[in-house]
Amino acid sequence: MVVLKTSHGDIKLALDAENAPATVANFLDYVRGGHYDNTVFHRVIDDFMIQGGGMEPGLKQKPTRAPVANEATNGLKNKKYTVAMARTSDPHSATAQFFINVADNDFLDYKAPSANGWGYCVFGKVVEGQDVVDRIKKVPTGNSGFHQNVPKDDVVIHKAEEVPG
Amino acid sequence: MPSGAPTLFLSDLHLSPERPEALRAFHAFAAGPAREAAAVYLLGDVFDWWVGDDQMREPFVARIVESLRGIADAGVPLYIAHGNRDFLMGPRLAAAAGATLVPEYVVLDLHGIRTVLCHGDSLCTDDVDYQAYRARMRNPAMQARLLRLPYFLRRIIARWLQRKSRDMKALKPESIMDVAPDTVAATFRRHDAQRMIHGHTHRPARHEVDVDGARRERYVLADWHDRGRYLAVDEGGANEREIVPQRRP
Repeated sequence: MVVLKTSHGDIKLALDAENAPATVANFLDYVRGGHYDNTVFHRVIDDFMIQGGGMEPGLKQKPTRAPVANEATNGLKNKKYTVAMARTSDPHSATAQFFINVADNDFLDYKAPSANGWGYCVFGKVVEGQDVVDRIKKVPTGNSGFHQNVPKDDVVIHKAEEVPG
Repeated sequence: MPSGAPTLFLSDLHLSPERPEALRAFHAFAAGPAREAAAVYLLGDVFDWWVGDDQMREPFVARIVESLRGIADAGVPLYIAHGNRDFLMGPRLAAAAGATLVPEYVVLDLHGIRTVLCHGDSLCTDDVDYQAYRARMRNPAMQARLLRLPYFLRRIIARWLQRKSRDMKALKPESIMDVAPDTVAATFRRHDAQRMIHGHTHRPARHEVDVDGARRERYVLADWHDRGRYLAVDEGGANEREIVPQRRP
């Protein structure tokens, strides 16, 4: 389990190492390395997802390690309150940024081994602090530079911490 | 088109079959916001490569041309400038797309603001090697010689040039691949413009520049590598917009 201590409260994530071993190992590497400490949820869309873990306040991109293979073939669905890896248009480009689904986003699930069909790898779910997620998804957002859906006031992950399951 | 409709500017889409998301975003753009615009300006590198207008035989190109035609058919004037990748775009493409190919620099009066448009590679004068290559490639005799080669050979040359360009870029300092401030200033002066819109550098931003004591603004268009973004200019000003075919994390 990992707890995200955010400016809006704690979010506890149960990770599914059985179905997404490489993704969970990658995520825990970043947790243990302190990467997520003082990052923000920089993209918040109320009926879609909240995305973070890649930038510091002020939208400063943090350096990341090599991308992890996309395990979206594992059959886990992008249901509400699941956590999955964000990425670019390349299916196998996820590094540190993740997102929490705040709606059932089945169009993000694996469909085919193609750039369009690969989907987004779910590797865990929110088991405590769903109310925190609900609060974050409602924060006012706007454009900031060339980013959209950016919270007007920073939603900060002060610390990401491994805790016993 | 509705009055008060924005004029749209985009560049560096680098459309190719290897970029399905950019293609999807482009088709969504052509079917949506482009048709509501006062005019659409494609400022270079719409295509990741262009080896001659006979490239329209490629199915993905045929679909792009069809989408462009859809914009023109909706009554929206469509203008295309050459980029450093698609400098060989010619009159047959323009005719098929219902577009007008424009010269290297275009000057517009946009709601009272004199605006100069270009692809942007001509502003990167610190990159001397690139400018020498560009001069060779823009030479009509050289282009005619290239276009006489068989299609497959041109395709091979294009791939080779791309790989070479990538290798060269990796070896060059970041700074020389950006615009040269003196050239920017000279371009503002030459066209007596208050605003400049260009692409090429993939460094989207709005810059304020002081030229001869006057504030001018320079908009750098975004590339479409991750997302489809364009600049919409209307009476209220210039705003970046994003085309979202389907939302993605």
